[in-house]
Amino acid sequence: MNNFAYVRPNDIDSALNLIRTRPKARFLAGGTNLLDLWKMGVEQPETVIDISRLGLTDIAPRPDGTGLRIGALARNSDLAEHSLVLNQYPILSRALLAGASPQLRNAATVGGNLMQRTRCPYFYDPAFPSCNKRKPGSGCGALNGYNRMHAILGQSDECIATNPSDMSVALAVLDAQIRVLGPGGERVIPISEFHRLPGDRPELDTTLQPNELITAVDLPPMADTKHAVYLKVRDRSLYAFALVSVAAALTIENGSIASARIALGGVAHKPWRVPAAEILIKGVSPDHAAFDMVADRLLQGAHAYRYNQYKLALARKSVIRALSVAAAST
Amino acid sequence: MAQSPAVLGTPRQRVDGKLTVTGTAVYASDFKVDGMAYGCLIQSTIASGTVVEIDQSEAEKAPGVIAILTRQNAPKLQALPEELTGNGEPGESRLPFQDDQVFFQGQHLGAVIAETFEQAREAAALVRVRYQPGELRTDLLGLADQAIEPRMWAGRTKLQDKRGDVDWVWANMPQVRLVDETYSTPIENHNPIEPGAALAVWDGTDHLMLHVSTRGVDLTQKVVAAAFGLPIENVRIVCPFIGGHFGSKGFSWSYFLVAVAAARIVNRPVRLVLSRPQMFDSMGQRARTIQTIGLAADENGKLAALKHSTLTHSSMIYQYTEPCGSLTRSVYSCPNVQINHRLVQLDFTTPCPMRAPGEAPGFFALESAMDELAVKLNIDPIEFRMRNYADKDEFDQRPWSSKHLKECYDRGAAKIGWSSRNPKPGSTKDPDGRLVGLGMATAVYPARQQPAAAKVILSKDGSIVVQSATHESGTGTYTMMTQFVADSLGVSMDRVRSELGDTQFPPAPVNGGSVLTASVGPAVVAACTALRDKLISLAVDGPSAALSGQAKTDIVITDGRISSAKDTSKSISFSDLLTNTGNQTLEAEGSAKPGDAYQKLAFFSFGAIFVEVKVDPDLGEVRVTRVVGVYDVGKVLNPLLARSQMLGGITFGIGMALMEGTIPDMATGRMVNANLAEYHVPVSTDVPPDFVVEFLDMPDTNMADNGARGLGEIGIVGAPAAIANAVYHATGKRIRDLPITPDKLV
Repeated sequence: MNNFAYVRPNDIDSALNLIRTRPKARFLAGGTNLLDLWKMGVEQPETVIDISRLGLTDIAPRPDGTGLRIGALARNSDLAEHSLVLNQYPILSRALLAGASPQLRNAATVGGNLMQRTRCPYFYDPAFPSCNKRKPGSGCGALNGYNRMHAILGQSDECIATNPSDMSVALAVLDAQIRVLGPGGERVIPISEFHRLPGDRPELDTTLQPNELITAVDLPPMADTKHAVYLKVRDRSLYAFALVSVAAALTIENGSIASARIALGGVAHKPWRVPAAEILIKGVSPDHAAFDMVADRLLQGAHAYRYNQYKLALARKSVIRALSVAAAST
Repeated sequence: MAQSPAVLGTPRQRVDGKLTVTGTAVYASDFKVDGMAYGCLIQSTIASGTVVEIDQSEAEKAPGVIAILTRQNAPKLQALPEELTGNGEPGESRLPFQDDQVFFQGQHLGAVIAETFEQAREAAALVRVRYQPGELRTDLLGLADQAIEPRMWAGRTKLQDKRGDVDWVWANMPQVRLVDETYSTPIENHNPIEPGAALAVWDGTDHLMLHVSTRGVDLTQKVVAAAFGLPIENVRIVCPFIGGHFGSKGFSWSYFLVAVAAARIVNRPVRLVLSRPQMFDSMGQRARTIQTIGLAADENGKLAALKHSTLTHSSMIYQYTEPCGSLTRSVYSCPNVQINHRLVQLDFTTPCPMRAPGEAPGFFALESAMDELAVKLNIDPIEFRMRNYADKDEFDQRPWSSKHLKECYDRGAAKIGWSSRNPKPGSTKDPDGRLVGLGMATAVYPARQQPAAAKVILSKDGSIVVQSATHESGTGTYTMMTQFVADSLGVSMDRVRSELGDTQFPPAPVNGGSVLTASVGPAVVAACTALRDKLISLAVDGPSAALSGQAKTDIVITDGRISSAKDTSKSISFSDLLTNTGNQTLEAEGSAKPGDAYQKLAFFSFGAIFVEVKVDPDLGEVRVTRVVGVYDVGKVLNPLLARSQMLGGITFGIGMALMEGTIPDMATGRMVNANLAEYHVPVSTDVPPDFVVEFLDMPDTNMADNGARGLGEIGIVGAPAAIANAVYHATGKRIRDLPITPDKLV
């Protein structure tokens, strides 16, 4: 771990000023991902800006009284157990509690969770010679290497890593809005545009611009909390990354699907949501045929590698399971 | 021997429990000395080739750096003698700094020594190593044609063996068969919670104190003394607590020799602690195994032929063979048996024993195959095993010292509700729609005693210290020694303090092979007997003795007093006796070694393990929901600690069955999941709440003194097969390649 300067601003303006003026600076929130990467030598910040004194921990309705505004520094544990979340967005609570371990959730923040890097051994260990994300142009070690945990959707030959967040998959179906502050003032990024696909710039995991700070995550109201589930398939019962996960939220009126929102985790560089698939089952009866059709469309174009062939079938079955459970919930 | 109410055989809390749970137990990396510096390893990032240059120019300039140890400035190490590198003592026979060859990823090329650990780590990251890469050998199957057939494991177990004529039976007799089915297990790492750690403290240039996490203080002393050319008495190894090892600690691993060399060149004490990733390349692993089993039985289910072949790997610098077939000769009655092991040397780190070496992967294969043949024969799996029950050890035709395996089957079957099991795979679902399966397997593990010695010291205040150079790896050695002294000398446990893990104490074996209790217990008894004799002599024959005139055979020792059985008025406390005779302390040593019975009888522990699994029919997730293990391990000395051992062992088996595996990148030979986030060991929710462990508690009267056999390893044996068999019963899918992760069932 390299020597570094440590600063702890007391307000957002100072934090933004520091990130703009200090070379190779990083914001430090819970540190659960940054410190791992730093100890491995993947990250080598020269200045660490500890943002723990900025507040930003409130969890309350949005200023207009509807929905929810979640401070970027709210801890994952606090968010998962918050009464407004448990009552109004239970799917978010379930996704949070499906992630990491209690110790990690106690430290990890909402903003940090959004910012966690894609998970891939060839990225995390600099002793591996090839990783386009860590060393652009060096190749992808996973493409012909060990790729059991890797992407089947939206990947490029440059990078086939997956985003490991559970929270983000739930946020995707909740149509979360990410509020950020930067040199140009405030802007709002829809969750669907926050994480990006690797394309030919795999080193960029998000569309957050340099010198921007996430301040909050806004959630619009959720009309139907009953028919919403988070399903995670993993190698052990707790503290394991998703092989595949599914967040599914249906609204059902008079026995038909009024709306469907479905996001997949563990299959792509970002939470995988396909609006065109969701429209397919609008107005139809929530049965196996409908869910099969959605799964087909969601997985259109999927491509697997040597060790992750199973994800093609597992993703399909997981989508069908999640939708079946969501539809059957009373 | 015990004349007070016995403490052996009763449940006792660990005497070191409070120290352990309050963080006050002192582990190797907790020791501190003045002037201590910190070391961090420099490791290879290729798996095969030659080091051309180690550029340390940047690292030297880094803050806090005291020195950089490489081959250039390392003290010349002496080659280890044959007794330390031969078949008997696995580990890396190749010492560090011998040449510029690289044999695996993470090989130790040197170390940075700095004022703080963080400085050492940062400087180590700045060292640039240039290599000439060599040809890479990572493909076990692809290189199988280059396999050798090693003769022995650990100098005592034949790896190529047969009885009868398997080939003739196979070729000529029509039978119900399981034809050469292949079972495989991945590389696995021990992953104790405490990493390897060493603090080397030189006194001058010829005396060394080494605090190191080792399960063999005496062996480590020999290795360090030999490597540094020191008289053995000049090297002291201290290790009062081990934070688990499962087979990994001990042996001649390079890192503690690097620490000793580092302390030498900087003339300061040096602490070197391995990181979690380094636990995957610096302290052994279980090698991958690819096993083939062939079974033939007549229509009544009597085995006629049994073939067990193992293909596995070792590093390029040591030939260690995972002995999967070693017990296949003994478990069942079968006239024709053939076992074979083939070994390929690959560019991976050196493997070593890991909890139940050989038996853990071997019984996964054998007990899965037995289940498969039982299905083919349409015979209940327990009944099939009973039809092939071995009434003696057919490997060398010796009678069992004591075997009650049938009772284990019966009790386990009753507890799990085996009789109501519908044998048809996929026939049972729970209310949530999950498939339910019941599976079982046999567990067997050798019982051994090894030579050991102990000393007891009685003080004038009546307290007793017992010492032996044995080890506490979290399993209860301190408690066990205390119990033995309490019973042998008729005192309460709180009057006794155990000391261990120091080469200054009487010698004891390496903590492995489930031998500790059966070896050290009798040594403690022998020392206590010697002390007792001294006490009686003092009391009866001494100048101012209170019991003079009494016959020694009439003396009883109880509650810290020496008394006459004939005349109850004649009695003296230990303390008064020592005071009256002018002794501050009274000491005695004793030792024990295996007797003649070990030549004549076959000593094994036995068990039967039953599990219930629930499997998601679509998503392939397997959860173990019930476990029943019934074991015949001889006399149980402390049911509380014995149960803990079995819970740990079986949980180890759950990990092996469902999630563990170290995965190499074939293009570089580097492990891709060398961390605890991606190398999965069971977490609390993987352990079923309904977890029954029972012991028959039948003393093995052929074992020394106490009739106890070991139980450190038998818990893992059989557990993976029982789970795989239960998964088959639940789903109809036979998974022969561990671990059984969801991808294999989707």
